[in-house]
Amino acid sequence: MSGNGAMLRSAVTVGGIVAAVMLYLVTVGLVLAFSEREVITGALTLGRLMLAVPPLVAGFVIAGRGGTWTGRLVAGVVTGAVAGAVMAVALLFADAVPGVRGVLVRVSPALVAFVAFDQPATTGAAMNVALAAVLGLVGAVARATPPHVRRPLMWGALGLVIMSMLEPFVRPRLTDFELGAVSRFIYQGRGLSIPGAVIMFVAFAATTAGWRPLRARVGGRIAAADAATQATIRGMALLVLILFLLALPQIAGSFLSQVLVFVGLYTLLGLGLNIVVGYAGLLDLGYVAFYAVGSYLTALLTSPISSLGLGIPFWIALPIVVLGAALTGLFIGAPVLRLRGDYLAIVTLGFGEIARLLFLSDALKPWFGGTQGILGVPGIFGVSRIDVPVLGWELTGPTLTYYPLLFFCILAAFVAHRLKYSRVGRAWNALREDEDVAEATGVNTVNYKLLAFALGAAVGCLGGAVFATQLQSVFPGTFNILVSITVLAIIILGGMGSIPGVIVGSLALIGFPQLLREFAEFRLLVYGGVLVIMMIARPEGLVPDITRRRELHEADAEAEAEAEMTPVEGA
Amino acid sequence: MQSHAIDPASMAPEASGPRLLLEARAVTKQFEGLVANRDIDFEIPRHAIVSIIGPNGAGKTTFFNQLTGIYPPTSGTISFDGVNIHGFTPHEVAELGIGRTYQNIRLFQNMTVLANVQVGRHVRMRGQWFHAILGSASIRREEEETVQRARELLDLVGLSRSVENDLAKNLPYGDQRRLEVARALASDPKLLLLDEPTAGMNPGETRQMTEFIARLRRDLRLTILLIEHDMKVVMGVSERITVLDYGEKIAEGTPAEIRANPRVIEAYLGKQSSAS
Repeated sequence: MSGNGAMLRSAVTVGGIVAAVMLYLVTVGLVLAFSEREVITGALTLGRLMLAVPPLVAGFVIAGRGGTWTGRLVAGVVTGAVAGAVMAVALLFADAVPGVRGVLVRVSPALVAFVAFDQPATTGAAMNVALAAVLGLVGAVARATPPHVRRPLMWGALGLVIMSMLEPFVRPRLTDFELGAVSRFIYQGRGLSIPGAVIMFVAFAATTAGWRPLRARVGGRIAAADAATQATIRGMALLVLILFLLALPQIAGSFLSQVLVFVGLYTLLGLGLNIVVGYAGLLDLGYVAFYAVGSYLTALLTSPISSLGLGIPFWIALPIVVLGAALTGLFIGAPVLRLRGDYLAIVTLGFGEIARLLFLSDALKPWFGGTQGILGVPGIFGVSRIDVPVLGWELTGPTLTYYPLLFFCILAAFVAHRLKYSRVGRAWNALREDEDVAEATGVNTVNYKLLAFALGAAVGCLGGAVFATQLQSVFPGTFNILVSITVLAIIILGGMGSIPGVIVGSLALIGFPQLLREFAEFRLLVYGGVLVIMMIARPEGLVPDITRRRELHEADAEAEAEAEMTPVEGA
Repeated sequence: MQSHAIDPASMAPEASGPRLLLEARAVTKQFEGLVANRDIDFEIPRHAIVSIIGPNGAGKTTFFNQLTGIYPPTSGTISFDGVNIHGFTPHEVAELGIGRTYQNIRLFQNMTVLANVQVGRHVRMRGQWFHAILGSASIRREEEETVQRARELLDLVGLSRSVENDLAKNLPYGDQRRLEVARALASDPKLLLLDEPTAGMNPGETRQMTEFIARLRRDLRLTILLIEHDMKVVMGVSERITVLDYGEKIAEGTPAEIRANPRVIEAYLGKQSSAS
């Protein structure tokens, strides 16, 4: 009995926490901002979804805390109902006291109506409680569902949402490829049509359900094949991937290509910073300095109207830019050699700002142009348009920048990979783990720190170089502290020291917000929230390093096996 | 071990070198007003197992840190294998051929068991960053040899092949001690410094460890320096024992001589027995 009491108490607590999250989302205006964004036209908006997910998660969490299955389901309902009740009270309060808007400016009549499902406040309040209770129950039931059933359902729902978010980009492309009929069937208004939603859900769920057995079967066959066949298969897979990446801008269209260019730029920065922070464990908060140096050096050398006025072609200037950035890395690295942890972070933060202010300063205006920056940077190939003969592709703007950027990303990932699994990478890791012991074990810690700064800078400056040619100009305002923080957030989200993690991280933090333009004003808020959640739920990142992932997998598999095997004894 | 004057001309370069592998003369270390080591003369003959003992706070660790290059002596000289190591950084000392373990185990916790030993091999490898990026045949051979050597060492210290990809922090305590020894051995040291290698072990494990130390010297022709504050551990395994107290050397000799030395009994054992 006391077990059930404790269970109920924690159900109420979780419900309260979730209610706080929901109230927060509502009062900062996120929910209303997304209330017009349709997921399934006429049935579900993103704003509604935002309020539906928290009670669902609460039910799922609370049902994972043990107890009898009946107890768990009851706890799910309770936790959802508590969350709904708090929302209901808030709704009634906002309805009864119009003055609340004086304090919480976002609580507009439109918002109140939205939360109340466009019903009178009392009816709306009752609906909030009922719906949240049902969602809590659904969450608890999801916990009871075996993973091989739950996972496809989850991915089905997630896939559905993503496909509806992609509507503004997918739809015009479908029309371009003469698939207007398909587009009209799947999409309706700004979201998915109901049949479209069903199709997406089934497609994603079926893919997820089929993926594991398929991978096991194919993986088994490949493992059974001889070395030559394996090499052929690997080569073919790589070829297909490369062909896909080459064709991607043509499939995605101009706007999505622009998004891909941003993702690529941040991937380059992330790969560079990953060497410094992920491998060597040197927390550098001034990484933007190298981005700026890459951009400014490129602009100085290639622009015919820069102070140097040289107008050197990009590819000839590039080695000088890389060398210059590496030297800057040494220059910044040298004074901070003795600093560790927090102190290093603070000082590098300062260096990042110093770099920006130097480029901005009046004293250096003759070289860097002060606030006006440097203009007239030619495109990466010196032309604004390239026609690919046989395929009939016209490459301009982002679809043109995409290719050299892809090349740099692959190069940077290759370099990072090779370094990681070498004597150098291990020395860096040792440095990260215990600097004194690394030194006593024979690692020249001074040299390896400087090397990390220099190579990290060299990789990051490539991003800056491409950025300058893409904008055809550079301005000091671009290179602010937010760039450093965003790149660090990408690494943390993806997983420290993990190369695929950087790519996933920049897709999530750079690509995704570009797709949801309503996000713009909430971007930093969401970054902060995402990072806090990551630190609590998955500190090793989305795509962790192999060694860390192995540990995680063992723990996961055990927990899962336990959850499946033992249908928990009574409390 | 009859004593004879060390003649530099008699050094046999590849086999032995000078008879003394390590020689400290009049080493004094002063921190502000505190004299942590005063005028310590100390030597380690090649292929010997010697120990430094002394109660807590006797200056053992300070002496140890000077041998490993963490800080230089205030005065006096330390030479290792004929080289004066004054002003050497720890990684240079490691490259000269001194490997060490730590009293409170200090592994690279979030690296795999194998990678820990591979880092130990760092000073004997040549691959630079540009080699790594280019991935030449010679660098791949070096990597393979290193993996090979690391596995041999894991075998030697008795760690099974199945744990080589586990993170170091997930090993049980005793295995972590073994791994530390393997990491130290990976640099092909001439001198192995063991800082309280039996700390936290029960009598059975302690006996295994002392046997293992003796075996290391025999099989690998190593010279070993033990630092201990527990006298019983070193009695069985070492040929010579040096006793420090209040920063000074108060006695030196064979285990039997040390056991009978009244100053040692007074300063060391006496204190312990009165404490208990």
